[in-house]
Amino acid sequence: MRKWSITTLTVLLFCAGTIEPCFGAMDVKLVYIGSEGDAALLGARQGLDEANLQGQFLGQKYILEARTAAAPVAELHGATAVLASLDAGAFQALAAALPGVPLFNLRATDDALRAACIANALHVIPGDAMARDAVAQWRKVHPGAKVTAGAWHGEFIKFAGRDLNKRYRAATGKGMDDHAWAGWAAVKMTSDSVARLNSADPGTLLAFLRDDLRFDGQKGAEMSFRASGQLRQPMLLVEDGRLVGEAPVRGVAGPDDLDTLGNTACR
Amino acid sequence: MVRYVFFICMLLALPPIAAAAGTGRIFVTNEGSNTVSVIDGKTLEVVETLAVGTRPRGIGLSPGGRELYVAASEDNAIVVVDPGSLKVLRAFQAGSDPETFAVHPNGHIYISNEDDARATVFDPASGGRIAEIPVGLEPEGVAISPDGSRVIVTSESTNMLHVIRVPEHDIVANILVGARPRAAVFTRDGSLAYATSEISGEVKKVDMRQNRVVAVEKIADEKAKPKDVLLSVDEQTLYVAGGRSDSVVVLDAATLKIRATIPVGKRVWGLARSRDGSRVFSTNGASNSVSAIDTDTNKVIKTITVGDLPWGIVIDD
Repeated sequence: MRKWSITTLTVLLFCAGTIEPCFGAMDVKLVYIGSEGDAALLGARQGLDEANLQGQFLGQKYILEARTAAAPVAELHGATAVLASLDAGAFQALAAALPGVPLFNLRATDDALRAACIANALHVIPGDAMARDAVAQWRKVHPGAKVTAGAWHGEFIKFAGRDLNKRYRAATGKGMDDHAWAGWAAVKMTSDSVARLNSADPGTLLAFLRDDLRFDGQKGAEMSFRASGQLRQPMLLVEDGRLVGEAPVRGVAGPDDLDTLGNTACR
Repeated sequence: MVRYVFFICMLLALPPIAAAAGTGRIFVTNEGSNTVSVIDGKTLEVVETLAVGTRPRGIGLSPGGRELYVAASEDNAIVVVDPGSLKVLRAFQAGSDPETFAVHPNGHIYISNEDDARATVFDPASGGRIAEIPVGLEPEGVAISPDGSRVIVTSESTNMLHVIRVPEHDIVANILVGARPRAAVFTRDGSLAYATSEISGEVKKVDMRQNRVVAVEKIADEKAKPKDVLLSVDEQTLYVAGGRSDSVVVLDAATLKIRATIPVGKRVWGLARSRDGSRVFSTNGASNSVSAIDTDTNKVIKTITVGDLPWGIVIDD
């Protein structure tokens, strides 16, 4: 608990030192819920730096607070969006407690969460069915290959993946993984949307994210949310720890046919 | 009398510019093989391949055409080459990861430093840095108005066109556009600019007097990931490198509607136009080739094999 107090204090001091930009045109408060040691939080902080780089041109200041899963919902008051690195059960409970507030899922891959079509859920992390379909597409071209599929890889260099990996490594000393990417993407799509809306209202943001988002997640395809709340995105295929390809797999599906990957229907 | 003296001065000033009629060569950076391919503009054959440093990308000519500049991204340098003798004249440090650049009418080079969220301005004569302007993340395209008063830098990961005033070198406008803005081009009178966004697949027209987008068109070809953009001599036609659509897309500059789609090679990145407008050339990154297009017929007249991952292209005519 003390650790988070220090994080919050640092943010406050920074704001006090630069009172004009901080409390200028628009403040946007984001809250992360999960473990402090989680890569998702490191990724979200990377996204925060980038959001503020954009915000300086537009008079928007982003703040990210970290809370544990045990934190009372009242502590989330005033948040434009909430980022959750939780298991499926805790995520679903939080979603119900925060109606109308954009709630990003950075961790739970359960297909049932997608099929539940929760109105304020934004699943940035790919669901299990997406990984299964990506692997199945790869095996059509490479029978017998032992691959796994994920959202991101520290060696990915195409489509400016190189740039994002470089920035993240410089900031954290670590390679970016799936959870870090999800944290980064959640903040980045929030700042991109707030910039276009010129509003930090949670309801306005949620409607825009669900219906109008056209996001560059640095994987080469335009990303948007399905009715299930799942982010459409390419998957990266890994064999023996090495990046070997991307899905949709060429020759099996077109590179922009993102709904060939785990398009779970609403139940 | 004053007019007469002025006229004489004009005449005296002419020879170097007239001499800049150029070598007729086409220069192409090959990002993957660390070379520049030199193509004879008449025969459209590769006549020479130059080693010019690591990961060469942006390429451009001095206003008089006497010097060729190549951004060697991983050397953090601009390499200066004589387009006639093809000798490397010198190189200078140009900030972190110089990617694309444009040459100002006054000879200065405006560079996007992709790694650094900065644009930097260099005097290529001395190698001295004149200015450094913080911009958004992953700055990419650079375009300079013909009168030199405005520079557009696109930031790919901040989704903005940053409009920089010269000589003050401050940002006068940040224009939000579609995801991953790549390149921009001004009209001759500087009143309009056209810009591409790669991920959103859009081309937009920007009123540069009011710094606002006045028209946006999603390129009807779904696969298009637009990159480089240029205007025809009469400014009625826009050429866009289609990226993943493996084509050069020809648009009506007024309506932004597609007039033609010209299949070239894979991953079309860079474009260049001959001075007389009769030819447009594309670099096809994943095909290791350059396509020469006849602009009367919108047909490829020749495909020229170059080095690995051809990226930038400029014509010394």
